[in-house]
Formats: sequence, C-alpha cells, structure tokens
Amino acid sequence: MDNASKIAGMRKSFGKSLLYTLPMFLITFMFMTGGKPNFADPASGLAILTAFLLVNVLYFFMHYTGKTDRYRAVLFIIFALSLSYTLIHNMLEVRKSMSFSQADILECKIPFCHLVIPMMILPAIFTKSIIFPGSIIGGFANISSMIVLWLVATLVLGRGFCSWGCFYGGWDDGFSRIRKRPVIKKISELWKWMPFAVLIMVTLSAALAMMPTYCSWICPFKAVTEFEQVTSVESVAKAGIFLTLFGGLVVVLPVMTRKRTQCSFLCPLGAINSLSNKITPFTVKIDKKACNECFKCVGVCPLYALTPEDIKAGKVSLFCSKCGKCVDACSTKAIHYGIRGIPAGTMKNFSRNLFLFVSFLFMAVFSAGSIISTFQGLLKLIF
Amino acid sequence: MTDSFVLGLSSGSACLATCGMVMFPYFMAGSAGVRRIAIDLFLFLLTRFVIYFILSTLAWYFGQALFSNPVVRNIIPGILYIVFAVMLVWYSISKNRNPNCPAKIVKTVNNKKLVPILLGLVNSLGFCPALFIILTKGATQETLVQSYFAFLAFFIGSSLWFLPLPLAGKIRKKEVLKNIGILATGLAGIIFMIKGLTNLIGGIING
Repeated sequence: MDNASKIAGMRKSFGKSLLYTLPMFLITFMFMTGGKPNFADPASGLAILTAFLLVNVLYFFMHYTGKTDRYRAVLFIIFALSLSYTLIHNMLEVRKSMSFSQADILECKIPFCHLVIPMMILPAIFTKSIIFPGSIIGGFANISSMIVLWLVATLVLGRGFCSWGCFYGGWDDGFSRIRKRPVIKKISELWKWMPFAVLIMVTLSAALAMMPTYCSWICPFKAVTEFEQVTSVESVAKAGIFLTLFGGLVVVLPVMTRKRTQCSFLCPLGAINSLSNKITPFTVKIDKKACNECFKCVGVCPLYALTPEDIKAGKVSLFCSKCGKCVDACSTKAIHYGIRGIPAGTMKNFSRNLFLFVSFLFMAVFSAGSIISTFQGLLKLIF
Repeated sequence: MTDSFVLGLSSGSACLATCGMVMFPYFMAGSAGVRRIAIDLFLFLLTRFVIYFILSTLAWYFGQALFSNPVVRNIIPGILYIVFAVMLVWYSISKNRNPNCPAKIVKTVNNKKLVPILLGLVNSLGFCPALFIILTKGATQETLVQSYFAFLAFFIGSSLWFLPLPLAGKIRKKEVLKNIGILATGLAGIIFMIKGLTNLIGGIING
C-alpha cells in the first residue's frame, strides 16, 4: 500500500473491494446478458464474458488500489477503439465503404454522434427540424437515444462525460500516455477558450446553413469513423482538414504535451459540458488545509483545468472532467472527489465511492455493446 | 451568406475587443439613460449599415470590371482570401496585437451628437483583414443583390457584439469574452483560408 493511499484510506481490503464490486457485477451482468446468458454461440458467449470480466476487474482494482485514472483510462481507451471498430465494421457491412454518398445523406443513414448536439439546438428551437441526416428512432446509432444518454450523463457528471462517457476521448487520452515526459511543456492559457469559440462558430453557422458544419468541415474523428465521398475539390479539402486535425490534435500534440489536446482546444461539446459542471452534483474539491501546494496536480491534469492560482484559491476550474488523475497524484489527498454542498475535506471516501459507481457504471453500460461486438469480431478474425 | 455572417461575428468580437474601450465611454458618457444610449447605438449601427451598403455596391462594380474572366474570378479572389485570412489568423495568434483603435480619432470631436455617427464611420472603414475579405466576397458575387446580402450578413454578424455595449459595465469576465472573440477571429481566418484555397485550386483545375 503506497503512502498516499494510506493517508486518506482510499485503498480497501480485498474482501471490501469485492463487496463494493458486487453491485457493478450484478448490474453489468444484467445489461450484458439480458439476465439470460446464452452460450449457444461460443464466440458471442466468450466476447460477453471477456467484456464482463474486463469492466468488473477494472472496477475492483479502482477500489482495491485506491487509484482511479489508470483503470478508467483502460476502459476509456478500449471504448474509443472498439467504437471506431464497430462503426467502421458496420459501415463496411452495410455500404461496403467508410465514405458516405449523397444518397446515404438523403436516406438518413449517417450514424449519429454526440458532437452534433450543440449544432442541433438552434435549428430545433426555431424551425423544429433536425439538421442531421440520421435515424431519429431505431437503426444504428440513432439520434434520440444518443441525446437522452448525453443529457442524463451531462446533468449527472457534468464535464465528467468527457472522461467517462465520450467514445472519442479515449483516442487522445491514449496518445497522451505514450511518452513519460512532455516535449512541449507550456501552452498559452488563451487556447483553453478555443472550444467556446468553436462552439459559437459552429452553433451559429449550423443554424444559418441548416447543416452540421462541425461534422462537415472540422471533426477530426471523421478520420476514424465515416466521411464524405471524395468527389470534388471541396471534399478533398474536407478530408485534408479531418486528417490534419486528427493527426495534429489527437495524435501528435497529445504525445508531445501529455495532454488531451483535441478535448482541450477544439471540442465544442466539451465547452457545453464545462458549463454543465456548474450544476452537477459531483465535483472535484480541494482541501486547502491539507494541500501542501506542490502543484503536482497542475502538471498531470490532461485538460489544463488546474492552475497554481486555482489550487491556492481552493477551487477547480470548469474545465475539469473528473478523470481522477489529479486525485491519484496528490500525495496528501487534499484534492478529492466531492459532492456539491458537502465541504471540502469531508466524506472523501463516500463521495469517491458514489461518484465511481455512477460514472463507471455509465461507461461500462455505454461501452458494453461496442466492446462485445469488437471482441466478437476479433474472435472471428482469429478463429 | 453563412460564411459572411461567421466572418462578421468573429471580426465584430475582435473589433469590440480593441475598440470597445474607446467606444464604450462615449455611449455611456453623461449617463444619459437607456433611451439616449439606444439612440446613440442605433445611429452608430445605421452609419455602419449605410457605409457597408455603399461599399458592397462599389465592391461589386469593381469586381465586375476586374474579374470578368471566369478563371481570374476564382484565382485572384482565392489569393486575396488567403492573404487576408492569414492576416486575420496572425491577428488572433500574435502576442503583439495592436491595441490601438482608429475610433480614438473621435476623441478629438467636441460635438457629442456627432460621436456615434463618426464612430460608425471610423469603425466600418477600419479596413481590417475581415473587411478586405468581405470586399473580396462582394466583388466576386454573381449579382449586386448577392453582394448586398453578403454585406448584410457581415453587418448583422459584426453588429451582434455591439448590442450589449450599453450593459458592458455589468459584464463580468470581460477578459474571457475577449479571448473567445480573438480565437473566433482566428477560426474565421482559417475558414476563409480554406475557402481561398478551394477557390484557387478549383480555378486552376477549371482553367
């Protein structure tokens, strides 16, 4: 048991950790099997079993070791990879290509993702129309279920959605962990506000053009999901932008800075989620009495959410995604998960247990489908 | 129209970031009340509207004369878009951003009633990269009406930022708003850089 975990008693005994894992065990079992495990198809049964064990072992270790971020990151990264695999696999099966044609747009066959949500708000209010060519109910990746999931998660977790629910965040989170030390150490504070600038631009331009401009022109994750058929100079420019932004913000900069640069400097949904941090029940708190101002938390924060001034003032900025990296790094456990209304430095264990249960359960349930189908696909490839 | 609106929206924020501190005291001078401020703001915006109307007409006629060849119509504006867009991006990332606003000239005017009109005049004729871009756009439109619409969208986008000006004293975190505005300007620059590149490449391919 390391010193930091001893100090705050975050680490639990083997038996107690098992006990804490039991509710997760039962709920994920119900979700993954529907209460009736069917092993008639061995590949499917093995995939479900692997996914089930993966999420529960990770959750167990969160309690047993008292560490949060490293186990969260494992599932988060697997989620991102598996979602891309599932999307690509689905598109290759349905339309034999990762690119979509004008016909696919007209037939509303484009999978929906949560990044479109900010652009839908104004057109939905003023024209009562949905500006995304996807399926509203039913079909693959439909609009209504994604909006409900995002809304619930954001109201409960705030920007925690970006570290516990977003199926793209795992990409730059993964790349940010490749190097042990950052090559680029200092980036201007100004850039932290870029997602808000992007949010304003894409929300208004989408309302005027009545099309999801972020998806059409900016989204870096088009590089690993689906994109418009390259048929004109404009579509070449779009493909160039997608690949450049993916390469720059999701791969190169995260490796160089050890930060999640796409989430920090581009994502418009991250900006909305940041604002929701002001109302959510779960927060990250700083116990000023316990803090020795070593500022380790500032250095490890992947979203530039902490500054020495914030620490001295005893508050975490609205950019915090509650990933747990700072909580794990704090040697005095002055920084901890908390619940709104409960003073900093109190009920640390209770707050952490409650937050972990809610956030990890959301990620486990949300990711289960794509992880299982990815495992299935891999098993079919191997055997 | 969308890109003109976006350009106006972003450049309006940058303009406000640099000129707001000059313009704000004039609107608030004498604490004349909401009605007086609203009239001043209306005159200011009306002046800008008239200037843009004149500019859009001039730009379109110049465009008709200069860009009659369809290939030149894509290539020259493409290059102009890129140059002005680079200037716009440079403005947003430059640490030595010039804080001086041409509206400072108005400080020398004694007649308070003329101030909002002069502010509108100086503000709309500031000849910033964003205005150069919209002039290029106006010059390359098929019809004069399209040129008017481009300028109108630019005017609406840039005017939105001035509407809360009388309430500026009550806005907290002005620095944050300024930062977001400056970054939005850079984004608009990038949008027009891409537009310029696609115009240029399209023009070369079609030529």
